[in-house]
Amino acid sequence: MRFKLFAVAALAVLASGCATPPPPEPGSAASKVVAMGPQKHIAVGAMRVARENGFMTVNVQLTNTLNSNKTFYYRFAWLGPEGFPIAEEEVWKSQMMYGAQTSFIQGIAPTPKAVDFRLELKTP
Amino acid sequence: MFARFSFIAVLALLASGCANTSPTLGSKNISYGDTKAVETVTNEFGSTDLQMIAESMTRSLAQSGVLQGRPVVQVYDVKNKTSEYIDTREITTTIKTQLMKSGTARFASDNTAMQSQVDQLKLQNQSGLYKKSTVAKTGNMIAAKYRLEGSISSIVKRSSDYKDVFYKFSLQLIDVESGLAEWMDEKEIRKTTER
Repeated sequence: MRFKLFAVAALAVLASGCATPPPPEPGSAASKVVAMGPQKHIAVGAMRVARENGFMTVNVQLTNTLNSNKTFYYRFAWLGPEGFPIAEEEVWKSQMMYGAQTSFIQGIAPTPKAVDFRLELKTP
Repeated sequence: MFARFSFIAVLALLASGCANTSPTLGSKNISYGDTKAVETVTNEFGSTDLQMIAESMTRSLAQSGVLQGRPVVQVYDVKNKTSEYIDTREITTTIKTQLMKSGTARFASDNTAMQSQVDQLKLQNQSGLYKKSTVAKTGNMIAAKYRLEGSISSIVKRSSDYKDVFYKFSLQLIDVESGLAEWMDEKEIRKTTER
């Protein structure tokens, strides 16, 4: 009996260890972020999406979880109604954040045809 | 005879086995890189600065709502007030290209293109070489509603440990008739090298 219980417990531990986290819900802020490798010490917060004069505008809140300065790289990818990129790739931008700082990055779509976006983030 | 054939066959096998299947030719020290990468080879004005300035200015201008109805814009060269040589024409060309792609503006012949435009009109109308029905008529060029002009300046500071360069790029859109600046924006870039 004791052996059986141990086996069940071991199986449960193994199964939970192998479980992958569920994918982010479509349309959620997390689903818009493409982390290029492990995202070290940069936390993505709220996102504000608006259309100004026909152009999609995105504001993203980012927080440096370290107490020291942190540099990261980012760019936006703009997608059309079919989910494919509608413009040339943007240039990567380098941004420095002070320790424990929260700041915002802004992106403006290059064309009014953009209906969705992805934020590509890379931490060195 | 058999030995000779076998030798040739073995040689052919070896040669085909060693054949390079990679679609490249030449030195392994040369490679193509990402044109959108952050370039930090030196702290002089570089490709990333040019791309960031053009991107930021274009998006800001297109989104401002000033360019309603695809107005005609005349682009002037960006004044280089820095101590470096910067091909500022490339900045304006990139801005023009991106605005054109966004579908928000049309561009009149600028200073450099104007001479070619006039030469072509003269050639068509005065040389007698072309069929009358296909000749572009004079007096139909579209005048610009706005002019776009800007400048780039820099502040450079050096110490024994640091070199700090601060660039400021300014761009403004001016209504030709009224002379009023309808839109303005700036992009600041700081680059620091620690020795």
